[in-house]
Amino acid sequence: MSNHIVESLKKQIEDFKIETKAEKVGKVLEVFDGIAKVSGLSDLKASEMVTFPNGEVGVALNLEEDSAGIIILGDYSKIKEGDVVKATGRILEVGVGDSLIGRVVNAIGEPIDGKGSIKTDKTYPIERVASGVMSRLSVDQPVATGIKAIDAIIPVGRGQRELIIGDRQTGKTALAIDAILNQKGQNMICVYVSIGQKDSKLRKLQVRLEEGGAMEYTVIVSAGASDSSALSYIAPYTGVSIAEYFMDQGKDVLIIYDDLSKHAVAYREISLLLRRPPGREAYPGDVFYLHSRLLERACRRNEKYGGGSITAFPIIETQAGDISAYIPTNVISITDGQIFLETDLFYKGIRPAVNVGSSVSRVGSSAQIKAMKKVAGTLKLDLAQYRELEAFAQFGSDLDESTKRQLERGKRSVEVLKQPQYSPVKTEHQVVVFYALVKGFMDDIAVDKIKDFEKGLIDYSERQAKTFYKEIAESKMWTEKGEGELVKAITDFKASFQK
Amino acid sequence: MAKISPKIIAEAIYRAGEGKHKAELDVVLKNAVKLLVSKKMLSSSDLVLQSLQDIIDKKNKVVRAKISSAKHLKKEDKDQLEEEIKKKYHAESVESVFFENEELLGGVRIEVKDEVIDTTYRNRLNQLEKFLITSK
Repeated sequence: MSNHIVESLKKQIEDFKIETKAEKVGKVLEVFDGIAKVSGLSDLKASEMVTFPNGEVGVALNLEEDSAGIIILGDYSKIKEGDVVKATGRILEVGVGDSLIGRVVNAIGEPIDGKGSIKTDKTYPIERVASGVMSRLSVDQPVATGIKAIDAIIPVGRGQRELIIGDRQTGKTALAIDAILNQKGQNMICVYVSIGQKDSKLRKLQVRLEEGGAMEYTVIVSAGASDSSALSYIAPYTGVSIAEYFMDQGKDVLIIYDDLSKHAVAYREISLLLRRPPGREAYPGDVFYLHSRLLERACRRNEKYGGGSITAFPIIETQAGDISAYIPTNVISITDGQIFLETDLFYKGIRPAVNVGSSVSRVGSSAQIKAMKKVAGTLKLDLAQYRELEAFAQFGSDLDESTKRQLERGKRSVEVLKQPQYSPVKTEHQVVVFYALVKGFMDDIAVDKIKDFEKGLIDYSERQAKTFYKEIAESKMWTEKGEGELVKAITDFKASFQK
Repeated sequence: MAKISPKIIAEAIYRAGEGKHKAELDVVLKNAVKLLVSKKMLSSSDLVLQSLQDIIDKKNKVVRAKISSAKHLKKEDKDQLEEEIKKKYHAESVESVFFENEELLGGVRIEVKDEVIDTTYRNRLNQLEKFLITSK
């Protein structure tokens, strides 16, 4: 046994090659709050990695005439004035590979789930220029989130950047988790980037994903609330570099940044410590670029460049519903649409609390499947009219028949769009339910029975309208034959339901 | 107005004193001290002097090297090292300071400005340690 160890060590030592080269070194002038000011290091590049004597890694952020501002990625308590800092010549990079799937890593790609080390094939720099115009393709493939309100009214396509925005406790993370859970069997890799979240929340989320079998295709990147702001700052870039690795393999990736408000706050903290001039709300002048360069890396590549895609769901937390604050307006303008969640709706029991009026998807409609477009085409307008009429109807009781009909339909639409957490609905099932709704089959069902009707209808139609389901799965649209079968199934089920 | 750095003051002193004789140079230096006092930068005088030294070295193509070794180096070895440094940094002369440090075990460590060439056994052992840990 001991011979074997000696032999193995001997072989390793034989493999070791000594490299002697001139190294650039500097000295720590001062250290404070995760920032080190370093002299020397004359040829230092922006975002270059440096190493401290205790093995800690830093990244050059401020390059000044005689010194450099370094953010320390880790424990800075042991770094002291006069310590020697070595430049590595490499831009900050993260290990990437298929072995990351199912793992929870920190902002520099090290495992934090206690499942042992991760062997990665190669490394990707965390800061990369986004794909160029010639390598891109327009968004035309849907991302099925399994959330009826989104898939029907605010559809999201592969390669799109759709913002989830709302106050605290309105179900933003729940929406993102539902979207991840629904990707099972959809040939999608998911990357969840947690920024400044409590470790208990992350653990709960990980368990939920494990229970739903979603960790088989998910990577979690976490910079927790107790980690330094430097780690919070780089976590989304690490996440998107991991996503880019999978995109380069031709795979579709869904990335969630939870949340970019905390990311902006972390960047503000670093910038103020580096003495960069503060601007509006004390954020530095390049806070727009901070998010635009991150979100621009979400794209859909054409076949020549592998055909993969990155769909991004950035999350922004607003204060008292104020979407006109600095960071929300910035991210709204960068993304291709937003899903706006409202506290009022949440407490009224309308969950997910999506405000259909304020939510929009600028490019997603071309990614929606034909069948869904057909059934959900008028839904947004119906809901908007319902909301207007609902306010109007409170003033008088004498309403004409068509207004009454619209109000009743509206109530049922709202009921249909309600959905409990962690229960994504398949696209074909959504089509069936919306078909029944817009064709008026639900008009004479009591509002409080709508949920039961919906559930029963899905079960019944799956057995009785097989042609319809087959057509949706194959050609994304029904034919007359399939439609006839579905109408019969709905009519039959309704008759038995009302008995 | 942008903050005045010690490097800028050193550059100004060098330009003001360029080609001047001793008496005139004394006046320049006195004025420089007055400037440091008026700008409340007297505490940075070490940095100013260091910058001034760097500027003069650059103009005269002088390289300053710190050479550490485990044992005392022979004169031939020292000369050879200085010759190598001259070649590498395209210098006309080398001002070296030699140190002895037993902890280095063997080899030499050369420091020139912010560059280090470390061929000591201590460094090699450290590299080997890192290699064995990471290649597990």
